[in-house]
Amino acid sequence: MTTRTVGTAPVRTDALAKVAGAALYTVDITVPGMLHAAALRSPYPHARIVRVDAERARRQPGVLAVVTGADPAAQRTYGWYIKDQPILAGDKARYAGDIVSAVAAEDPATAMAAVELIDVDYEPLEPLSDVESALRGDAPALFEERPAGTTPRYGRGASGWIHPDKNVCYRFRYHTGDATVMSSCDHVFDDSFSFSAMQHYHLEPFVSLASVTDGVIDVWSSNQSPFSLRRELARLFDRDEDRVRVHVPLVGGAFGAKNGCKAEPVAILLAMQTGRPVRFCMTAAEGFLTQRQHSATLRLRTGVMADGTLIGRDCEVLLDAGAYADASPLVAEKAAYRAPGPYRWQYVDAAASCVLTTTTPAGPFRGFGAPQAAWASESQLDMIAHRLGIDPYDLRVKNLRELGEPYMPGDSAVDSDLRSGLAAVAEALHYHDRPRREALRTQGRGLGLAIGFKDSGGGSKPASARVTVDGDGHVTLRCGTVELGQGAHTALRQIAAEILGIPVDGIDYAPVDTASVPFDQGTYASSSSAVMARAVAEAAIDVRRQVRQALTHRDGKALGDRGRHEDHALPQDWRRLLAGQVFDASGHFEVTPDADAPLGEKCFFWEPGWGGAEVEVDSETGRVRVRRLVVCGDAGRMINPELCHGQESGSAIMGLAQALVEHRMYAHGALATHDPLSYRVTTFTDLPDELDLMVQEQGHGPGPFGAKGYGEGGMLVVAAAIANAVQDAVGARVTDLPLTPERVLHALDQGGSEPSAGAAG
Amino acid sequence: MSRSGIAVSFNLNGRTVQETVPAQQVLADFLIERGVAGVRVSCDQGVCGACTALVDGCPIATCAAFVFQVDGCDVVTVEGLSDSDDLHPMQRSFVDRFAMQCGYCTPGMVLTAVALLNRKPDPSPDDVRRWLAGNVCRCTGYASIVDAVLDAARRRHDLRERT
Repeated sequence: MTTRTVGTAPVRTDALAKVAGAALYTVDITVPGMLHAAALRSPYPHARIVRVDAERARRQPGVLAVVTGADPAAQRTYGWYIKDQPILAGDKARYAGDIVSAVAAEDPATAMAAVELIDVDYEPLEPLSDVESALRGDAPALFEERPAGTTPRYGRGASGWIHPDKNVCYRFRYHTGDATVMSSCDHVFDDSFSFSAMQHYHLEPFVSLASVTDGVIDVWSSNQSPFSLRRELARLFDRDEDRVRVHVPLVGGAFGAKNGCKAEPVAILLAMQTGRPVRFCMTAAEGFLTQRQHSATLRLRTGVMADGTLIGRDCEVLLDAGAYADASPLVAEKAAYRAPGPYRWQYVDAAASCVLTTTTPAGPFRGFGAPQAAWASESQLDMIAHRLGIDPYDLRVKNLRELGEPYMPGDSAVDSDLRSGLAAVAEALHYHDRPRREALRTQGRGLGLAIGFKDSGGGSKPASARVTVDGDGHVTLRCGTVELGQGAHTALRQIAAEILGIPVDGIDYAPVDTASVPFDQGTYASSSSAVMARAVAEAAIDVRRQVRQALTHRDGKALGDRGRHEDHALPQDWRRLLAGQVFDASGHFEVTPDADAPLGEKCFFWEPGWGGAEVEVDSETGRVRVRRLVVCGDAGRMINPELCHGQESGSAIMGLAQALVEHRMYAHGALATHDPLSYRVTTFTDLPDELDLMVQEQGHGPGPFGAKGYGEGGMLVVAAAIANAVQDAVGARVTDLPLTPERVLHALDQGGSEPSAGAAG
Repeated sequence: MSRSGIAVSFNLNGRTVQETVPAQQVLADFLIERGVAGVRVSCDQGVCGACTALVDGCPIATCAAFVFQVDGCDVVTVEGLSDSDDLHPMQRSFVDRFAMQCGYCTPGMVLTAVALLNRKPDPSPDDVRRWLAGNVCRCTGYASIVDAVLDAARRRHDLRERT
């Protein structure tokens, strides 16, 4: 189909402001009379809060209010499925960083100084520093009472439990097929893997500015999901949703961290107490104490036939959720459901438990459980291939699901040809060139491949949009999709521009404000270019229909409208021809519930990723050098090729960070990587020698023009591709992330052989 | 905070600034209070580069410098890169090469890159990577930024060839 705007790369609509330093973020917003908040955080990972004395702080000149956990309003709790996180810790601090008290003062320095004057008596309790200590029989319970929560309505084969065991806040299980097939397998391989946690490291900190006037809460926030935030804040502060208004300007990076409550509740609480607007801007170091990725251990028992046919898989994932449930239940659901990977199985039993520990709460992070699942699954596939003497490429191709075949019984069909992306990556790496491969190995070099596969963010995610044309011909798009850097405000305008036959800069994107744009569940899971895009396209098509009617009326002859996206037979100057007329239309998109689908709704689209690496392993130091990184995905159809490549590059390098560079570390129960100075973030010098990015357009996406969501595939594949390449290079198998020189050396010391394989059947 | 202060005089984006400031006032805060929005504080520890300004042509982390340190200096933020409404060629290359996503690091990144080309007009990709290693970008994966800087160097080179 021919398009004019879709498929091209017009300049990002925010580029000029961003490059000039003129872009507006929440951090830039100030209002007259604004106060500044600072927080007192528990230094103990686990402690009874015996007494909080804020009198000295309250008496400081310039201090307007101090709130503590004793305040009933501060005891309200929030969270996704489970509401267990109080605004301020009341009787108990559950991690080092839990907010115990907060101050509002005339300036930031006064607020920070006042915090130091709050006296707290703590009675330290036994810390639960990791999953192992939290699951011990004699471990203290982090929550003495079971917090309130709900499980979603799952479909065929899936179940969820809230607080099934002590210190386990959620458990998800998916199973299909008959377990007895495992006993007829030629081999059952039992391997375990560990996955380390990264920081999101968004550059704009968690920041909110709140004011309360006549009972209406106005909050400006660096947040990905303004409407979900509005609902949560309305519940927390006991008022109707239309008494809470959330404004989101540009967001300076999110990567999952900016979902749900962060700085907002404290800012609102202090604004209510003082009657003045309050800004709570956390430092980057406080951000490290607020949200992180889930570390995990994964055990896979995979049954195969001697010819490499995959039969069945048992999978047990333990996620370290940190002190509060946050989005952990959802991450567990995704980690388990995605653990089988896009292969044909007769039987799957995959479960994930979220274990509460006295560490920073873990939340959504690019890939949402899929990076953990893919790390283990794609590593084990290579280990199995080596054990069976089959090439890892061939093992994958033999077992991959076909285009059009359901991922799991009751779910939607795989909508990418999974072999084609793998073939493209293999070709880029000269994977099938045997003599070259042999020559590489003599230099300590090797190649590895991996496939990532995740269900999309279409489920439970209604999206609405509105397109209007005023009498002067100005076209405005109103929707709740937040610009996080991904380029959604450019891409969604391209879709509307294409349908209306006008240039991209002829469309204004209204400020994201819950009082003036229609409902949207949130900007996450790479769904805007498919889910919100459907709503935008529907609204734009309706406006086009109205415009054609008006033209017909004006000219006295019919133009007709076949309602297709590409059907842009509007006269170029329709806005001038119809000056003085207004047009207004809404679009809505929502995936319908389906009890037969495991997660309660059929997956809207699948996001695949294919990765490959050529590494060089220094067997003296254990250092892994990535000579070449190849990442490929399927965008369905690219709305804007440059934006797709930007997503690909960003997620590939974040995957590289996961593989080799970044990890949060605890020492003696305390976070050692507690700020940007102590956390080793990925920089320019970590780039691989060569980075090859490929974006396929297979055309099967359910979004407008065949688009899918895009932006997480690279995150799923890089770690396993590199570990697989290390094994190919030197025979050493590393099963823990990141692949530090120490771990690689240790694996080499094991004689370059892989961990012992259990065999049965 | 001490009422006594230090008298400073420096050039900010082509205009003279003369003020008495507290000894402990941090340069980033000073600039942001005066509406210089291109200076963005992120790490507040001098390790991420988002708050970069050029001081006598040299990139520094303004979150880790006191105002008195720039007394007598020439301070340029992204707002002062171009004296007309036109973009500086480095800004142009960042726009054309989609070398930004969330944009929070962009002003600092552009300034550090400008300083590189002033010192080394024809950098290799490796020069760019090493020179920019003090500026963190979490979104792009860096590759497009390297491209943009090399593109700006080429454009500058072509311009010199022609004139």
